[in-house]
Amino acid sequence: MNKILIGRYIAGDSIVYKMDPRGKLVATILFIFVIFLANNPATYAILTIFSLVAVAATKLKGKVFWDGVKPIIWLILFTSLLQLFFTVGGKVYWQWMMLAVSSYGIINAIYIFIRFTLIVLISTVMTVTTMPLEIADAIEWLLTPLKLFKVPVDKIALVMSIALRFVPTLFDQTFKIMNAQRARGADFNNGGLITRAKAITPLLVPLFISSLETAIDLATAMESRGYRGDQGRTRYRILQWSLYDLINLVYFIILVILLLIFRTH
Amino acid sequence: MTIDNIIKIRNVSFTYPDAKEPAINNVTFDIERGSWTSIIGHNGSGKSTIIRLINGLLDAGENANSKIEVDGIRLTQKTVWDIRDRVGVVFQNPDNQFVGATVADDVAFGLENRGVSRLEMMKIVPKAIAAVGMSEYADSEPGSLSGGQKQRVAIAGIIAIKPKIIILDEATSMLDPDGRSQVLQIVQQMKDKYGLTVIAITHDIDETALADQVLVMNDGQIVTQGKPESVFKKTKLLNELGLTVPFVQQVKKDLQSNAINIPDTINSEKELINYLCQLNSKK
Repeated sequence: MNKILIGRYIAGDSIVYKMDPRGKLVATILFIFVIFLANNPATYAILTIFSLVAVAATKLKGKVFWDGVKPIIWLILFTSLLQLFFTVGGKVYWQWMMLAVSSYGIINAIYIFIRFTLIVLISTVMTVTTMPLEIADAIEWLLTPLKLFKVPVDKIALVMSIALRFVPTLFDQTFKIMNAQRARGADFNNGGLITRAKAITPLLVPLFISSLETAIDLATAMESRGYRGDQGRTRYRILQWSLYDLINLVYFIILVILLLIFRTH
Repeated sequence: MTIDNIIKIRNVSFTYPDAKEPAINNVTFDIERGSWTSIIGHNGSGKSTIIRLINGLLDAGENANSKIEVDGIRLTQKTVWDIRDRVGVVFQNPDNQFVGATVADDVAFGLENRGVSRLEMMKIVPKAIAAVGMSEYADSEPGSLSGGQKQRVAIAGIIAIKPKIIILDEATSMLDPDGRSQVLQIVQQMKDKYGLTVIAITHDIDETALADQVLVMNDGQIVTQGKPESVFKKTKLLNELGLTVPFVQQVKKDLQSNAINIPDTINSEKELINYLCQLNSKK
């Protein structure tokens, strides 16, 4: 259990990996807004093609993306079905009580389905190609303007990176404690919901105590290594824009322009 | 020529806020520049407290009679950061002192704190990592390293800030024998290469074989101090304190009490074995 992956990052070496996490994060967020520009078959087709090209550019197996969509496929289908049965207008094909399948309903259901799926696909592209630490750095960069309002962005960033750094350590500790409890006869895998929940308590208490100890040790170590808040700190790891980010930007702008041209006004 | 002492501790006492008995009780000692000092003592004898006082993690309070001086600087609220630039500490738990997300990030942490420019860091960090033989792991995450490797990274982080003193606070106690000997070997190399002063707090009595000086602590006081061979002659005292004498010293003493005279110069297992072999052949 030495290599526990946090997040969904999968190592790779395609063009998408070389893009700056800041660019990818911003593009992903903007994509969610841009998707609402689409309002006719042509624009939805453009969106779909652009998204699939982005997916293909990662050079990862399709299964990776299916795994991204799978957990919420029912939510997507449910929402689409609601659209299907409750949208009124156009030609009515089938009706029962309040439910009706109309031509508007069918189109809306398809649009909602595409929208949802594309958002999930694009955010999967980002999360599988960007390490959690890079995402944390990108979030820090996004938060930078908040410095004007005296928000301690550097501290928040350090907290984020330490939190990520200690996830595997906490996992290790959890497994150690679990094994220690198992050796004394604890059973985590059998019994009903309540029995299992109760079995977790003797796990949480030592875990909580050990993480407090870790925190105290870490604070001592940081202080003795000269950490005194943010004043005068420099950064070793920095993000640098590259040519690949220009590709990202241009690609995104072309998408927006095409959507603006082809959408129904 | 006078002895150049890098650390001078005079009449220092310290009591933890909620404790009745002082953890350190009127302690005075010196540490010579470039030497290796081992501090031994059972749990709660005050050995960890004393090093936390040296780099100002604990504050002994200001008092006319007592002082802590490191590299000619007297420890006060104002100078504490200057002193921390000169003293690097490797702590016991390898995981709980690894701040960075990768080896390189962790080594850079101390430099970042001191506002070293990025350009400068790009030069120092790889060198420091190479010095402890971890170059191929520069981008590794701590989860994929062994305890001994993490401690070597901690040493690299200290070397990077070019300190005068390196303190090992039971730094090898959580490691397996291989990791332990590697870490000690690296510290020895760094000591020779950069002329460092080493203070090692340890449970492992065999580790004191590397030392020029041994301090034995009990109940917040220094019970005895001196060269390892003279300290380990005091078997009775050490046993009373619950400390065992290193195996070689024990054998030596028992042989001596059986009228087989072993010279004082013999202090390692190898030397002793060689000597005993020759002892037979001479007869």
